This record gives sequence, structure tokens and C-alpha cells, in this order.
Amino acid sequence: MDSKHSSPAALPDHQPSTIEKLVAFLDERVGLKEMQAKMLNEPIPGGSRWAYVFGSILLFIFAMQAVTGTLLMFYYVPTTDHAYDSTQYIIHDVDYGWFLLGYHFWGSSAMVVCVVAHMSQVFLWGAYKKPRELLWLVGLALFGIVITFGFTGYLLPWDQRAFWATTVGVEILDKTPIVGDFIARFLKGGPTPGQMTLSRFFVLHVMILPAALMALAGLHLFLFRVAAPAGPFSGTKEEIKAKTDYFFPRQIWKDMVGMAFVFAGICALALWEPVVLLDQAAPDPGDYHPEPEWYFLFYFQLLRLKIFAGEFGQFLGAVALPVVFMALLVALPFFDKDPERNIFKRPIALISWIAIMVVIVLFTVASVINREFLD
Amino acid sequence: MLQPKLKSKVRCTDLDIGEVSKVVLDPLSHEISHIVVSMNGNGERQVAMGHVQAVTEDLVQLGTPSRDILALPPFKREDYVTTHEVEISHLEDNIHVTPGEVLVPLPDLEKSVKRRTFFMNFTHVIGFLIGLPIAYPILRYLMKPMYADFDNQWLNVGNVSKIKKEDVGVQFEYKKKMKEAYMPEYEVEKNVWVVRATPELLEKVYQGKDEEFHDAKGTVIWTNKKEMPYIAFSGKCPHLGCAYKWRNHKALGPVFLCPCHLSIYDAAGNVLDGPAPRGLDALPVRVSASGEVEVIDMEFKAGTKAQVRIV
Repeated sequence: MDSKHSSPAALPDHQPSTIEKLVAFLDERVGLKEMQAKMLNEPIPGGSRWAYVFGSILLFIFAMQAVTGTLLMFYYVPTTDHAYDSTQYIIHDVDYGWFLLGYHFWGSSAMVVCVVAHMSQVFLWGAYKKPRELLWLVGLALFGIVITFGFTGYLLPWDQRAFWATTVGVEILDKTPIVGDFIARFLKGGPTPGQMTLSRFFVLHVMILPAALMALAGLHLFLFRVAAPAGPFSGTKEEIKAKTDYFFPRQIWKDMVGMAFVFAGICALALWEPVVLLDQAAPDPGDYHPEPEWYFLFYFQLLRLKIFAGEFGQFLGAVALPVVFMALLVALPFFDKDPERNIFKRPIALISWIAIMVVIVLFTVASVINREFLD
Repeated sequence: MLQPKLKSKVRCTDLDIGEVSKVVLDPLSHEISHIVVSMNGNGERQVAMGHVQAVTEDLVQLGTPSRDILALPPFKREDYVTTHEVEISHLEDNIHVTPGEVLVPLPDLEKSVKRRTFFMNFTHVIGFLIGLPIAYPILRYLMKPMYADFDNQWLNVGNVSKIKKEDVGVQFEYKKKMKEAYMPEYEVEKNVWVVRATPELLEKVYQGKDEEFHDAKGTVIWTNKKEMPYIAFSGKCPHLGCAYKWRNHKALGPVFLCPCHLSIYDAAGNVLDGPAPRGLDALPVRVSASGEVEVIDMEFKAGTKAQVRIV
């Protein structure tokens, strides 16, 4: 008789499937279920909100940038004699190359938009305050990395737009007192932009910055979990407790919807506004009017102001202004010790935020209007 | 805060009703909000800390008669998760419910180690000794291409027959052969702006003095004579290094205008408007008998009041 049928009473009611066995095997060794439970069961004081989606969306955008960026590297060659041609090859000859490049290009814009949204949310909610100072500081470092990603990635196609954005960008860094000349030469790998610049920007863009971003994003998440979400800025303890839920499922659902929207938006832009390269990079721009990427336009326009004229003015605009702005953000949780988080009871914070946004919008619009006076 | 311990007896005002089987924590305040009492075989009840009067080593004294506790609804385990299954940092910091410390023995070999601090510092020293000798080579490795000698070659950029009018900026585009490290030699497109100047404009440019150009050591390599009517301006805007153009400005007339940050210069290269810290950079220029224009293609640092040559 078949041994299976010899003692039917010994068989359990339910035979575990292969997948269940595999999960049980892993769970026994690494504690998967507990890990999953901990990841999903994070209480969100006051409950899930649409305002909280930006962190997850940024992680999603970064993952997609890593995927599309890796795919672009299959064809892209970071040399001055091939960078432009290999990018054109991706756009015109490789199947769906135009789409992946477009996605990567617009993904970077989405990244900047979501970083600003994320920082604004944290600022307006007063979530940078004690005990979340370190979380805020690491976030600022990540902001710097995202901007540097945009700046270094911009050069890689080696077209006129790339060349001039880099030329002017590095000249701005050159205005740093004492070390400016060294920084500028170090980045360019010489006195003028060329192969060494392209190599350096490439290594930064595909190796150093992704490693730094992954490490700091990990630290950011860790600090976030240690400090716990800040929750809403108003409401009594009882109200907040009554509305509290876990990260899964309601917040994850909102995050997923947000990601889907961002994904659809980037795809639409890649589809309808595909990347078109200008002429190959050269120190003679022809008829091209150099201009940075749209999210730097306000700063570009700002540097046209009279108060930033002359050598000292230039120091003010190119060095002092961004350094002071970042220093203020760094110092923010240390001088703003008032535990009040309600933005409507923090008039200086609210007015500052509105003022910065208004300046960004106005100067961006001004630079766009300025375009037509140039031809 | 009261610290009821697991397994402690629970005593009501009239009699002992069981022992503490679980402790419930408030996730917001991180304090104990309830104890769960195992009722000697009558199931479990959840008792708010408000009922607890006193806690001793192994006894929790309630201020409530036993019938009130029995009347509470049975404890619903499914409404709770354990602290291992939820991410609430520092949740257990305030609570000391573990009955006694949990210990493991120290290995024998560790018992006699006296110089722990020495060994800790020693690892740091070794790490430093590994890092230090490679730091300088790495820095030099990265700095290798940063500084290059100046190139004082004369380059032919075109013929003056191209210039039809005096005191007007005319762009001369030319190709310059470049050789960078291991890369094959290649040509880049560059441009200079040449002006055939009237004596008045020459006076504005030179202000009565010849202009000397130096190499890295400070030796004079060329002098632009103040009578020579051709002026060649480097195509790089001295503001932030963009490329400027010759344009008709509504108010200022024909000028050199940089489209980047809107610096405006007159035909003599002087700043008329905008953020530029100095005027356009005149290059060493010579014109042959047949009208061929040659320049030394110097580049200067943008954004400084003084001219600092970088190429």
C-alpha cells in the first residue's frame, strides 16, 4: 500500500503550497513576517493624508530614475566625440530610446517639483521641530544631492544647452571666496569645459550621487522611523488618537495613487514634449541664447538684477544668497524652538514661505517674458 | 508612573482576582494605559490604570471591588498587536514590565581582557594609517588635469574685408584645434568680435596707452598698439562666461549684449548696463598686409573686476 495512504490521520488539514513553504522557510531564518508587520504597522498620528505622499513619491521617482538611467547607459558614451552622437542614437535609432530618455529627463523635473513640495509640507506643518532636527538636516543634504543630480545630468548629452548651463554654473561656483578657483578647476578638470569635465560629471551623476542619495535616503527613512511621523499641527490628543491609523493600508493607498499620477504625468511629458537636442556643444553658441533648466530660471533671472552687478554684487548673488538661504534652512530647527506647529499661528514662517514662492514664480515668469526681447 | 509587573497578583478591595497577563501601552504618550488581568480561569479582563491604587514588587492593588472587574467585557486579543509587530520607536523606554533582567554569560576569553579602550583606539590608528597614505595620491590623481600651461599661439580668424563699417562689432568664427589628454585631436568652433575703430573709439579703448599682454611668468609677449585700428574681443562675456552678440538696443543703440544676464557693452567694450564687473576682454591682435586677422586666443576668468587669465 502507498505509504501516503497508510496513515491518513497523520496528514494535516491543509497541505502548505510551495510558496507558503518558501515563505515559512525565509520567515524562520530572517523574520520576514515581523519585518513586514513593522514596516506596515506604523501609526500615523491623526491618520493618513494626501499631504504626506511626497516622500514616498520621491522614493518612487528615484527608483525610476535609477532604472531609466541604467538603461540609458547601455548606449550612452561619455566622451566629447561620442556623447552627442550616442544620445542622438538613443533618441532616433534605439527602440523606445526617445521614451526612456524623455522619462529620465522629465523625471528629473518631477523630482525637483516633489522635493520642493515635500520640503514645503514639512516646513508648513512645523515637522522640522524637535525631535526631528536631524531628519530635517539629512533632508536638506538630499535636496542638495537632487540639485547636483540635475546639474551634472544636464551636461551629459553634450549639446549647446548642456555646455552653456555647465559653463555658467561652474563660473558661479568659481565666485566662492578662496576655494572657488580650485572648485571650478576641480569640477571642470581643467581651465575650460572638455572631456575631463564630461568624465567628472558622468562619474558624479552615475556613481557618486546615486550612492550618496541611497545612503542618505536610508538614513532619512531610519531617522523618520525613529522619530515617528509628526502628525497634524492642530487638534487635541483625543481627536488625533481617534483618527490615527497605520501606514498600511490608507496611507499606502494614497501614496500609490500619487505615484500613479506622477508616473502618468512624466509619461505624458515624455510623449508630448520629447527631448530634442540642440547642436553639439561648442564654445560658439551661434544663435542659441543660453538658458538653464526651467527650475533654475528664477535664479538665472535673479542674477540679472542690478544689486548683483559688479564683483561684489556677483559674490552676493552667486555665493552669499544661496549659502545664506541654505544656512538659514540648516539653522531653522535650532533657532525656531517654539513648539507651536500650527502654520496659522506662525506668521513669520507663513509669510516667508509665501514670499519665497512668489519670488520664484515671478522671476520664472519674468525670465520667460525676457526671452522675446532677446531676438 | 506605576510599573505593574507581569505575573504580579491582582488584588481587589475584597479579594485576589488573578494575575497580570499583559500590559497595554498608549502609542502616543508611551505610558501604560491598561493591564490585562487573567481571572483565575474566568478569562481575561482589561483594567484601566485609573483603577490601580498601588503597585508593589509582586502585587497590584486595585481600588475597585471584584464584581466590578468581573462585570467588565472579556479582553479582546484581536484588537491589539504586540510591540514586535508595530513600528513605534521608544515605546518600551518608559516601561519596566520584564520580570527581572535577561542575561547571557560572558565568554571566558573575554573575562581577562583589560585593555579594551587601547584596542578600540588601536583600530582607529590602523584605519588612519591606511587612509592617510592614499589621501594624497588620490588628491593628486584627481587634480592632474586642472592646471595647464597657457597657449600663446597666434590663430588666424578671418579677413578684415568682412568688416564693412567702423565701430561695429563683427563676429569672426573660427576653428581651433584642441588636444586633450588621450583624446584624438579635434576642432572646436570659437568666435571673437572684431571692431574696426575710429580714432575716437580707439581713444576710449586704450586711453592713450598701449595694452601689454603677459605670459604666466609675467614677461610681455605682445603689445596692442594704441594706433592700430582693429580691436578683437574675446567671445566670452566677462560676467559669467556666456556668449554675447552685437544687437540694436532700443535706448542705447547698437551694443554688445549678452542674452544670459543682460550685460551691455559699447563698441569699445565698456560696460553700459547690466551685472558685468568689467568690460569686454581685448585679445592680442595683429593684421597682416593682406588683411588676415590673427589673435592669441586667451581666456579670462569671468566675474572678476581684474582680468585673470586662465587659458
